[in-house]
Amino acid sequence: MTRTEDDRRDDEMLGEFFAAGRETAPLPSADLLNRIAADAEVVDGARAASVAARPPRRGVFAAMTDAIGGWPALAGMATAAVAGVWIGVAQPVALTSLTGGVLGAATTGTYELEDLMPGYSTLSTFNAEVAQ
Amino acid sequence: MAFDDASAVSDEALLVAYGNGDRAAAQMLTARLAPRVLGFSTRMLGGDRAEAEDVTQEAMLRLWKIAPEWRQGEAKVSTWLFRVASNLCTDRLRKRRSVDLDSVPEPEDAAPGAVAGLIEADRARALERALAELPDRQREAVVLRHLEGLANPEIAQAMEISIEAVESLTARGKRTLARILSGRREELGYDSD
Repeated sequence: MTRTEDDRRDDEMLGEFFAAGRETAPLPSADLLNRIAADAEVVDGARAASVAARPPRRGVFAAMTDAIGGWPALAGMATAAVAGVWIGVAQPVALTSLTGGVLGAATTGTYELEDLMPGYSTLSTFNAEVAQ
Repeated sequence: MAFDDASAVSDEALLVAYGNGDRAAAQMLTARLAPRVLGFSTRMLGGDRAEAEDVTQEAMLRLWKIAPEWRQGEAKVSTWLFRVASNLCTDRLRKRRSVDLDSVPEPEDAAPGAVAGLIEADRARALERALAELPDRQREAVVLRHLEGLANPEIAQAMEISIEAVESLTARGKRTLARILSGRREELGYDSD
């Protein structure tokens, strides 16, 4: 768009009006400034009060502890865990005999009745003798 | 937080400081921004000073409320404030039109003064009246550009329109202003050539 002589003259004239407008811009009254300052204090005061009233932040661990019933429940879980570890490490003898007897025999491929009931053979012999 | 050289501190830094509880920062922001918002609102509302003061107070109140959540680097504080003030003025203008067209106070049209100082005051008054005749959006763009000194991208943000639309609004607004004011050149101290 080409600017004509009229455009330039209009711009020059408007420039004077705008300059006059900037010079005579309204200034805020003391009352308005006081109202604005009072608002700023009220908003800041309310914010400070809400921050002070807010309960302290709780950590994730505290929330989890509460979820399972607090420290007593946690103590019970700890005891159970220690017992489990102890059972796993100690391996009671009777249990070893049983698992060894059964699972060990599995590698041979055949099971006899005496493998599971070692006293049955003696009992059946005794019964047969009594019956005679 | 102490500001030894307040003029070197950005509006944004002052707003963040206020959001952290520094009330002195609010005072500085008020001194910087309230006159600009008041000037803008007064012109947008056709010279109604009382309503412009209410708009200014409300816009500043919204600024105080948003301070703790202010997202730095997204927009200039002044641009954000002009947008809020613009929306508040638009609401009031809409209500005013729907209630009573005659309730808008006419700016005083004093007789042209012979003294040079009065000529300037007359020019300012004539500008106010001419601005009041513009459509709202054109008036807003012209005021922000030529009286508040915002750059076109800032005006685009404040008015939530494209930069091209800002250019179009200011160009049309200026053409209308020139047409209205050229009829009063002589009485306002301009040569008639």
